[in-house]
Amino acid sequence: MLTLYHWEPNANSGKPMLTLKEKGVAFESHYLDLLNFDQHKPEYLAVNPNGTIPAMVHGDMVLTESTAIMEYVDEAFAGPSLRPQSPEERWRMRWWMRFFDQYFAPSVSMIGWSVFVGPSVRSRDPDELKAAIDRIPLKERRIAWSKAIYNTFSEAELAESRRRSAIGIQCLEDALKARPWLAGESYSLADINGFNLGYALPLAQPQICNEEKTPPIMAWLRKIYARPATKATWEMGRTQMASRVTYLNG
Amino acid sequence: MLDLYHWEPNTFALKVLITLHEKAIPFTGHYVDFLKFEQYALPFGRSTEVAHNPELDGPVLVSDGAAMTESFFISLFLDETAAEAPLRPAGAYGRWEVFAWARFLNEIVAPAVSTLGAKKYLVPALAARDRRDIEKALAEMPTEEQKSGWRSALEDSYPAELLEDCRRKAAIGVGKVEASLSKSDWLVGSAYSLADIDAFSLIDPLRDLAPELLNDAARTKSWLRRIGLRPAVKAALGASKTGRPRQAYTPGPEHSRWG
Repeated sequence: MLTLYHWEPNANSGKPMLTLKEKGVAFESHYLDLLNFDQHKPEYLAVNPNGTIPAMVHGDMVLTESTAIMEYVDEAFAGPSLRPQSPEERWRMRWWMRFFDQYFAPSVSMIGWSVFVGPSVRSRDPDELKAAIDRIPLKERRIAWSKAIYNTFSEAELAESRRRSAIGIQCLEDALKARPWLAGESYSLADINGFNLGYALPLAQPQICNEEKTPPIMAWLRKIYARPATKATWEMGRTQMASRVTYLNG
Repeated sequence: MLDLYHWEPNTFALKVLITLHEKAIPFTGHYVDFLKFEQYALPFGRSTEVAHNPELDGPVLVSDGAAMTESFFISLFLDETAAEAPLRPAGAYGRWEVFAWARFLNEIVAPAVSTLGAKKYLVPALAARDRRDIEKALAEMPTEEQKSGWRSALEDSYPAELLEDCRRKAAIGVGKVEASLSKSDWLVGSAYSLADIDAFSLIDPLRDLAPELLNDAARTKSWLRRIGLRPAVKAALGASKTGRPRQAYTPGPEHSRWG
């Protein structure tokens, strides 16, 4: 029995979703609405006490940390291998996943939370929002939600995130000029991880990520979206955040 | 053939050197003095993966022309390259546990230990040097993150709240290790693994940097002693030229900016 607790196919949730679809592994999908704070409700905290999404339950094992889950899925199940054979390419795959997880994605996501997540929940009852923040188990996540809800990102913080996003785009562009896929010769977990962040870049940062300035990134995104597993994963989305991916058609 | 470029065996370099010795993998070691900024003038090019090293300054393993950074991923590369003396469990769940430990250790504990070490040892080491040389080296560093990390040490700009938060994060690390050792002698499954090497390289420095955090952690202290006695750990520490590897710190990885 395999159950995945996830939100939209985007950022961390989309990483194990797309990995499972690529492997052809059937799983029970348990959708949590991040904007309704489903991830901090007692039913979910019983599964993952940290209240972070995603989490995967396989038999009696509970797995968290989206990138580590991706490695687990590739290791534990049959299906096409999503990690290169060459140890050097595997090293590069992991290096890129850490670059996405700890450098590139947090900067893009800070901008996303300031313009999308914060405004989508801000109009709710202030007492209800305060109670929702108080229920968040991890200090770091409480701070993150407070900043988004009360819009307390400083201009300097957002400017730094924009600077880092631009560097991330440049590094990605350079990598895709050098090799067909991020790790090397084959499609891997690094591309799956990167697509979850990357599909929205031309929409969120059209002035620096577009057909003229970053053709290899655009070609890479279209190549990944053309895969049946990617289409099937994004069809599991329920909001416009996921459905806007169709701009990559054709 | 493998070439490892490293400074004193502490934290990140120690992790890779222990792995090499545990697996008895032949390599050529090249000692690089990070305090003299020799790491910015190494003979291989500055690929993205070298320039944007998440450890800012750390060991680099060169294999067939590819320059690899990030000490845990280098260790994993070594374990995947040489089948003898495996340092990961055979099963997928145990391997996930090793990844989950690495994520926690390198994102939360590593920046905390690095900042505490930089405050104690790097700040006075830089203050003893000619400031003009340091400013020149800073100006030539490839990324803003490296410049900013080294400038914090040069100016000794570590606010009290940051140091307090570092102790909090280091304490979370000790707490997790202590809890895990109540179930087994080793962090993952029943055998010594990359998770123990990774955690040892980051937790052992706390005996010097924040010994009070280990007061109530008897299992952790005994585990540190057991690992410290291993021949591979002694061999790794033997790469020191100063005789004080535990005082060698660079600014280290950045603290998480967001969530």
